[in-house]
Amino acid sequence: MPWIRAGIHIAAVFLGSAALLAWGQADDPARSILKGAAVEYLYPEQVTVAAGKANLVVLHFRVAPGMHINSHTPKDEFLIPTVFSIPEGAGVRLADVSYPVGTEFILPLDPGNKLSVYTGEFAIQARIVAEPGNHLVEAKLRFQACDKNECLPPKTIPVAIDVIGK
Amino acid sequence: MKRNTLVISAVLFILAVFAWAGWANWELRRQAAERALAAVAQGQLVPDAAGGEPDPLSPFKGKPAPEFALEDLSGKKVSLASYKGKAVLINFWATWCGPCKIETPWLIELRNQYAAQGFEVLGVSTDDLDRDDAQKLSDDKKEIARSVAQLHISYPVLIDGASIATPYGGLDAMPTSFFVDRSGTVVAAQMGLTSKDDIEANIKKALGK
Repeated sequence: MPWIRAGIHIAAVFLGSAALLAWGQADDPARSILKGAAVEYLYPEQVTVAAGKANLVVLHFRVAPGMHINSHTPKDEFLIPTVFSIPEGAGVRLADVSYPVGTEFILPLDPGNKLSVYTGEFAIQARIVAEPGNHLVEAKLRFQACDKNECLPPKTIPVAIDVIGK
Repeated sequence: MKRNTLVISAVLFILAVFAWAGWANWELRRQAAERALAAVAQGQLVPDAAGGEPDPLSPFKGKPAPEFALEDLSGKKVSLASYKGKAVLINFWATWCGPCKIETPWLIELRNQYAAQGFEVLGVSTDDLDRDDAQKLSDDKKEIARSVAQLHISYPVLIDGASIATPYGGLDAMPTSFFVDRSGTVVAAQMGLTSKDDIEANIKKALGK
């Protein structure tokens, strides 16, 4: 039926326009996070590990769109590396930590200088030793974030993990 | 009958989608307006209502540059007031800031170019200083001095810029620059890396050209 086909076309145009209208109002993500955290801890929220032994826990983080943070081994001596830590006295000890290799990043106005950074999602492999029992650990991730034109001051965010040592 | 029901349902659905889009649009604009209002009250840098570049000038333009007296790397106190009569570029930077290092050679060149006309650059480091530990404080200062030497900075560099962050709008991102005219009034400001031409244009504004 031609009138049904016409109706479907009109509806598709209207729906597309409405979706674009709503989407177009969103702020530029890189600018919107100026007052917030550039890095977000994703998961796990809870892990169960063998008490008294070194256990591998993979911690997942996400860098805000448009931003990058220095890797654990930045190429410039003055740049601040990303570091994961667990405070003492939490019932959980950080035995070892392995960081991902950074990806190469070049600032458009400084093409001769290659940076080593994390963008998007990245994972840190931590080997933790837990005492028996339930421990609400507030680990920390220190990093320093930039976009291509500006840098935010160094920041430390909490990484909350419920560690059950059995 | 069945066909009519289908058509009416489709029309109602489309109207509902439009109503939702209108509401979402209004809500986003309302939130943006609230953020902008809060920013003016606190002197913070946030996106404008249209989602474009933030304007760090809005709370400062045409107003006196907030007064400060900070130490230079030799420990001597340097005040902004002592530069009255000169056009001054107050450039907040940090050793860990990559974009700052890109603009530093431009600042050195422009300072050399316009110094004779009464222009000066004040580099204000916002690097953290550990004032509770004398040894760490000394190490922090040495690190800044090492970076200054590496960048061949020839203009005065002051430290502890974080202590004047509040009057200067929070200094949420580096580099941030304020261009002050001979009477001490802010005539322009820039947040983030721009271009040498932009900086030069603002220097000329500060010089009253």
